[in-house]
Amino acid sequence: MAPLKSLEAQYGILDSNFQSFCASNGIFTVEDFLLHDLSVLAAFAEQEPTSERLKEGITQVLSIIDRQHQPWLNGLQLLEDAQQNKHVLSTGFKGIDKLLEGGLREGQLTELVGPSSSGKTQLCLRVAANVAIQHKGRVIFLDTGNSFSPRRIEHFVRQISGSVFNEKVMSNILCHSTFDIFSMFDVLHQLENSLKSQGHKGDCKARTLIVDSISSLITPILGGSGPQGHALMTSAGFLLKKLAHELNIAVLVTNHMVAGEGGNLKPALGESWKSIPHVRLLLSRDQGNKTCSISILKHPSLASGEVARFVIDD
Amino acid sequence: MTMEVRGWIDGDESGREMLSRLLTERPYLHIPPFQKFPLRVGNVVELVGPSPCAKTHILMQAAIDCILPKHYGGLGHLVLFIDLDCRFDILRLSQMLRNRIFQANKNQSNDEELFVECMRRFLYIRCYDTLEFLATLKTLHYQLQKERQAQGIGVNFLMIDSIGAFHWVDRASTSLHLGVDNRKGLSLQNVSVTVVQEIKKLVLVHPMLVIAAKATILGNRYAANEVKWNLKRPFSPDSAASSVTNKVHQLMYREYMPSIWQSFVTLRILIQASDDHISTENNHNKSVYLSEWLMPPLSFGDSFIVKDAGVFCVS
Repeated sequence: MAPLKSLEAQYGILDSNFQSFCASNGIFTVEDFLLHDLSVLAAFAEQEPTSERLKEGITQVLSIIDRQHQPWLNGLQLLEDAQQNKHVLSTGFKGIDKLLEGGLREGQLTELVGPSSSGKTQLCLRVAANVAIQHKGRVIFLDTGNSFSPRRIEHFVRQISGSVFNEKVMSNILCHSTFDIFSMFDVLHQLENSLKSQGHKGDCKARTLIVDSISSLITPILGGSGPQGHALMTSAGFLLKKLAHELNIAVLVTNHMVAGEGGNLKPALGESWKSIPHVRLLLSRDQGNKTCSISILKHPSLASGEVARFVIDD
Repeated sequence: MTMEVRGWIDGDESGREMLSRLLTERPYLHIPPFQKFPLRVGNVVELVGPSPCAKTHILMQAAIDCILPKHYGGLGHLVLFIDLDCRFDILRLSQMLRNRIFQANKNQSNDEELFVECMRRFLYIRCYDTLEFLATLKTLHYQLQKERQAQGIGVNFLMIDSIGAFHWVDRASTSLHLGVDNRKGLSLQNVSVTVVQEIKKLVLVHPMLVIAAKATILGNRYAANEVKWNLKRPFSPDSAASSVTNKVHQLMYREYMPSIWQSFVTLRILIQASDDHISTENNHNKSVYLSEWLMPPLSFGDSFIVKDAGVFCVS
């Protein structure tokens, strides 16, 4: 946040006298103001010779602070935003769409949990192809393990659009290889800036962001006794939710599974991650055939435990 | 001066005013897990539980009880909802509200008007980090004055979902030495002190009930209600039914909030999903949730399920 000095040019009231008064109370930036009891500060100002001007300065900073949170909205405004800007995107699998009442919702972070070869990546690729065709949207795919397959995408595209090869659709699916969490932050921040400046013009809106898999970026930084790994994980979660909401895109991430107690599998990202996504889905594949099962672990409006089955074909 | 003193001594409240003040100060909530306990304005209630355990649903239902007008069994006041998890689903709230209005109002036609009136009373803000949360609290007083002028009614509930959302980030940004001795860093401790201080000041001027949800973000190795990740039989919800529910009651949770917040909380309720399921009319299996009073340590708890229309008690 801004040092008070840098605000002087814009707000004359925050002059050098005000700055030195604040400095004597340990305040140098707007951020420092947030941690101070302003009524105590006003009482200190009272004892100064220029108390009126100092108090005016405090009010000025308060109005700057007032612009540093999101706007207050009432229920109607929220509902209007949800109905106009947050669409439901079909996944391309009838069973899953039925289970989720339409598919993935823009503005939400959806997580797929599943053991290795349960179909997580295939589902992601199929969703990418389907969103690019059915919803004419751009898809950003963050690939963390070289599992993105253009051939597979092409196959799905042909399958969905009736064996026509569609170059425009293919060019709307953008893949970034990211091998650590910091390069993911880079990509996401770039995305935020480019999408914000671009706005809604142009015929092709970004609709989906896929991170396959987010757990392989986060698990290496967890562990140890320090909180830094968890802090990065939480920040990544908030950034994804912010992008989903502010840019009206659906975010899909995958979480692999590792052996837990007693040889049972458990998700690689556990207790602290659980409260981050809007929707958690558990994927599993039947032994020996191509049928997959998907069930709801958590959903803001649907009961958990409901199951759908679907087939990923060759 | 004398006039002021006289005005202060003179009775200035009729019986009706007093009754309405008392009723406002004791917002009675008819929903589990609050229904058997007399809440009052000024209480700070904490709902603790592992995600997902219907915490946000309980908040939504309490919010609906607050924004509905008095003749519909509500309190007719404003609700402030501070969303720190950034997961709030307005479609769900509006669905529950419509359900409630429909039930109360079967043969009347002013449903839509009432719906709009109630939705206007629900005030929502989303915070993506601690700084936004602090900026929100710092300027909340002005916001409340504005709303009170615009709508002519006060706020009854302040909801925070959930209070530990930025815990790890705050914990990681500890005491870098900032060069000056009396300069405060953005540490977990300083943030909690400021949050508690700001809410205390706010509640003095605008008396309200504070309800904060808190997810148990620290894993409990021996948690009885961990979802079973046993993939040999992944989709048989009733396979292990009721075998572990006895253990659930003894489950401890690990506290992680700084002591300044802990001592600010006046009532604490623990909520968990049990392994029990109940079939409802549409043949849907609904998970049963259990609530338990930790503070004060009351002997009675509630069991409840979440249906389309909201949270319901089961006996």
